[in-house]
Amino acid sequence: MRAYILRRLAQSVLVIWAVTTIMFFMFRIMPADPTAILLERGLTDEARQALLEEWGLTGSIWQQYLAYLTNLLQGEFGSSFLYRKPVWEVLTPLIINTLWIAVPGLLLGAALGAVIGTAVGWARRGGKLERSGIFLATVIRGVPNFVIGIALLTIFSSTLGWFPGFGMGDPGQTVGFARYFTLDFLHHLALPLIAVIIYFLPENLLLMRSGVVENRTEDYIELVRAKGVPPRRVAWHAARNSMLPLITWLFPALAETIAGIVVIEIVFSWPGVGRELVLAVTRQDYPVAQAAFFLLAVMIVIANLAADLAYGKLDPRVVYK
Amino acid sequence: MSQIIVSDADPIKGRSVLGAMGQSLRMLMTDNFAVVGVSVLLAFAVIAIAAPWIAPYEPFKAMMTESGRLNRLDPPSSLHLLGTTSFGNDVLSQFLHGFRVALLVGLVAAIAVGLISTIFGVLSGYFGGYVDDALMRLTDIALSIPTLPFSIVAVALLGPSIENIILVITVLFWRNGARIIRSAVLTERERVYVKWARAAGASHFHIITRHILPNIIRVVFLWVTMSVAFAVLTEASLSFLGLGDPTVISWGQMLNTAFSSGNLRTAWWWVIPPSLALVMLVSSLYLIGRAYEEQTNPRLRRR
Repeated sequence: MRAYILRRLAQSVLVIWAVTTIMFFMFRIMPADPTAILLERGLTDEARQALLEEWGLTGSIWQQYLAYLTNLLQGEFGSSFLYRKPVWEVLTPLIINTLWIAVPGLLLGAALGAVIGTAVGWARRGGKLERSGIFLATVIRGVPNFVIGIALLTIFSSTLGWFPGFGMGDPGQTVGFARYFTLDFLHHLALPLIAVIIYFLPENLLLMRSGVVENRTEDYIELVRAKGVPPRRVAWHAARNSMLPLITWLFPALAETIAGIVVIEIVFSWPGVGRELVLAVTRQDYPVAQAAFFLLAVMIVIANLAADLAYGKLDPRVVYK
Repeated sequence: MSQIIVSDADPIKGRSVLGAMGQSLRMLMTDNFAVVGVSVLLAFAVIAIAAPWIAPYEPFKAMMTESGRLNRLDPPSSLHLLGTTSFGNDVLSQFLHGFRVALLVGLVAAIAVGLISTIFGVLSGYFGGYVDDALMRLTDIALSIPTLPFSIVAVALLGPSIENIILVITVLFWRNGARIIRSAVLTERERVYVKWARAAGASHFHIITRHILPNIIRVVFLWVTMSVAFAVLTEASLSFLGLGDPTVISWGQMLNTAFSSGNLRTAWWWVIPPSLALVMLVSSLYLIGRAYEEQTNPRLRRR
């Protein structure tokens, strides 16, 4: 067990190193000059040189690479070209904003998907409920997330006016940490959160349904049934055993959510990491783009690791090698 | 159980890859949802091919009214069946040209991802050893790259052109299929008849093309279908984020223009067609993929 964890940890470090290296070279092969945004400000040559050194853009590419790795190990991502302050200061509040729609959205999507998926999986094979459930889930799964966002925005914000469709709070509201617990914030949270739930529900539903269908013909279900347990409780037995793939799916999905939520953040102008990544790329603010991308990759690696370890805990049949 | 259908995992009867493909497609046609999906795909393909001839105007041509003013945000009329955009472009013409981009991206992704995943998966699963180890480490790394953020950065750096978008999609999505196909090959390789064929002196090439490939073709089809869906979605998302090819009109780009010009609510004729087409296309692919999933997973069949 310990050897397995150590090996998985080493593997994760290797993966993170590889991703950062890919990222480094990707940002260096670009046709656009990373210093262009700095030069616009009408700097003298000496000032420009000083800035380049500050951002580690001098020397051969290998020297730059080495400097870049050292900085990463020290948690140093440099300063934003645009905001003129350390990247961490720009990104930290945004991480919390992203998690605010990602975590509840994913959990609610998974829970609702599991409940409906059990109902669909337990329904008569080939019956109306099963067929319409599968059809609807598959079609909704095919709706691109920005289309979900646009539909919600148009219907509930622009037309009905029930919810605000822009940003995280009206101007002049509470600032700081307390703002997350105001009614105004929750009001703004509603639509992007619903978009994330709709985005994740169908996949969970189908996963759960497959699990229940696989489990319902197992012998233990026959046994439970033979004991005279009411049908609803029998379904619960099958559901519990079908939750395993769902739970392992949750962790990597969280990371992918944070990545995929980019589009939803853009539609609702939600100030999160994904939106900042898109803005940074279009404004050529490369330190921020690099750091945002690195953050998302690290989240995926950690989530995968957590999923692997959790799986062993939850399923006693899994043996670590 | 109301219905008991005995099926012994529907073994593939053909000995050639083409025969197996045909059999697999015939099996697909027994699934009603998949038939819906295939019909939608065929209809979309026909529209895509015919688009330049049936589109009434040039997609980027600015429409003028009789008094010589720009015809902005004109609701549907006999002159412009789906109205005009805020730049005075004919929505129907843009919409019809959007079919071409979606189908092009999907088709190229299908071929590229299908070929790369199959080659890697088969080599890795069949030969094992160092090739397999190297491939598995490579996919480990590839799988921890967040797809959409990677595409955003890569397309922004390489330059937003349709070629670069397709390149990025191919680089991203070969990995999923390679893993799945590899594990399918691993189980196939251990079958008794493969050992017999080997003992009888059959070459590796013969075994792969005659025994392995026909039996894994459904898994390949499943992943090709899913890859096409991911490719279409990725292109649409990139275009919606404003990173699409500015010289080619696509549905994501139409929605981006409508969104960023603030006309989502008023210009429904501009928003609904591309949204609906995207939903229909991706959902059809998922319906087909689902049918393959039921085929390849014997535990999901009716018992």
